[in-house]
Amino acid sequence: MAVEAIPQTKKKITFAKKQRIQEAIWGYLFITPNFLVILFFTFIPVFFALYMSLTDWNILSDPNFIGLENYEKIFSDPLAKETFLNTFYFAVVSVPINVFLTLLLAVLLNQKIKGITFFRTAYYLPVISASVAVSLMFMWILANNGLLNQILGGMGIEPVRWLTDPKIALNSVIGVTIWKGLGLNMIIFLAALQDIPKELLEAAAIDGANAVQKFFKITIPLLSPVIFFVTITGVIGSFQSFDLVYNMTRGGPGHSTTVIGFYIWRQAFDYLHMGYGAALAFIVFAAILVLTILQWVLRKFWVYSEE
Amino acid sequence: MSNKNNPSNSDSVLAKSVQAIAVTLLVFGAITMIVPFIWSVITSLKSAENIFSHSAFWIQFPPDFSAYKQIWERIPLLLYAGNTLKVALIVTVGQLATSSLAGYAFARLKFPGRDKLFFVYIATMMIPGMVLLIPNFVVMRNLGAINTHWALILSAVGSAFGTFLMRQFFLSFPSELEDAAKLDGCNPFMFYWHILLPNSKPILTTLGLMAFQNIWNDFQWPLIVLNDESKRTLQLGLSYLMSEYYTDWTLLMAGAIITLLPIILLFFAVQKYFVQSFKFTGLKG
Repeated sequence: MAVEAIPQTKKKITFAKKQRIQEAIWGYLFITPNFLVILFFTFIPVFFALYMSLTDWNILSDPNFIGLENYEKIFSDPLAKETFLNTFYFAVVSVPINVFLTLLLAVLLNQKIKGITFFRTAYYLPVISASVAVSLMFMWILANNGLLNQILGGMGIEPVRWLTDPKIALNSVIGVTIWKGLGLNMIIFLAALQDIPKELLEAAAIDGANAVQKFFKITIPLLSPVIFFVTITGVIGSFQSFDLVYNMTRGGPGHSTTVIGFYIWRQAFDYLHMGYGAALAFIVFAAILVLTILQWVLRKFWVYSEE
Repeated sequence: MSNKNNPSNSDSVLAKSVQAIAVTLLVFGAITMIVPFIWSVITSLKSAENIFSHSAFWIQFPPDFSAYKQIWERIPLLLYAGNTLKVALIVTVGQLATSSLAGYAFARLKFPGRDKLFFVYIATMMIPGMVLLIPNFVVMRNLGAINTHWALILSAVGSAFGTFLMRQFFLSFPSELEDAAKLDGCNPFMFYWHILLPNSKPILTTLGLMAFQNIWNDFQWPLIVLNDESKRTLQLGLSYLMSEYYTDWTLLMAGAIITLLPIILLFFAVQKYFVQSFKFTGLKG
């Protein structure tokens, strides 16, 4: 009996082992196609970009290793400084307005209002629309004799050169960016609002809290992780903005709408300064990384915990 | 009785006025969202010579459809649409296939290094696309893919985000089904093909829609990798149309409307999945 039992368990073990190996083979097989894409078009390119940022490569001639020269150049490049300032302005203006408006819209839509489907659809339309078509639509609206100036003219206001006045153009691009993005954050806020337990708000009402108190003492603290998240992603989005700038202003007039996303493209693919472009991109990457880490570290302190 | 009624009356008056303000604000916002589209349609239906001679609020009747005829002669719009559709469909199918397979492996199969590998996946999701533009251009150049549609397809048929999304969905899939399938002699692929995929239609639709829409609307990457006119996608074609005919607003608006229409129609057809995809876009950032 005992003699028989030993080979049987051995057999069981080898069977289980064989099954495990088989499962592992299936596993590797299944991830391979996707993994190859990630490996060749995301993982390796990051390190490759880092290397390129240390060279003077311009496509036409072979790259020379020049150490940190590109990074030093960023600090002495007046256009880079202007670009970073524009990008900073872009983020500081667009993100708070976006967060405020989308939160307001979500709260309004969360009331029991008739025609909610119509409103939602209206706010989603710009989100699904391609940025080139949106650029075209707004170039016409913001043209010197466009819709906006004609409406303002009807109210006796002088026409504004929305896209050709260097003091105003960046604000116009920011405005279109906000217009296009409202529906996206609105839906994120709306989903978060609907997750707030009704009992909590009812209990507060029984305790005599009015709508304003309920909003600031319950809704806002419960939404704080989402507010934080939307803010960070908004800043990251500002750092990468390109399509609207390219199509509406090409970074002009002057360099007034040249933000970092556009400047990197211009350096790398217009002037073929691949190395310098890669260095600029890495500075932005570092900034985004710091923001993302900050998001995780800081949320523990001032964001209301879900637990 | 009257004492009891009074506060509730004033409450309902307050609630009604709050609602009225809410509706007013929402209507104002909705108008701001829709007017640009409507004005583009109105402009596209005017005769070119009437654009500057009449006020913006004037609507031409009967409408002039000539811009919608002309645009096909000015640019090979049908070719651009075909290019875009081809790339978008290949990428959508490819991304769904590779992401669902990898997502299944990460969620359900055990293999050495799985969790470490998944961590790498999550980490790559944080890399901004902007950092990848330059090195990916070089990779595509070395592959000889510049100025071909391969440059748009290759880098998009796999997705860390898609894999993450599918994994999260497959994690919640009931394990009884998997055990039963195993007992019936199903190998992992048979289980994936016959049981998992047919039961994952909503998430596949959402992810597919995101991939399709991303490719359809993408502008920067095609701008970088495509040179030939015959290779252009719709967005590129529209952008070049704008630099060529920059004052021909009826033509440009017709172009904008034509390129927007397919996505808008798709949106109305499957709005539920679009809304779902918005929520995931939040995750992606």
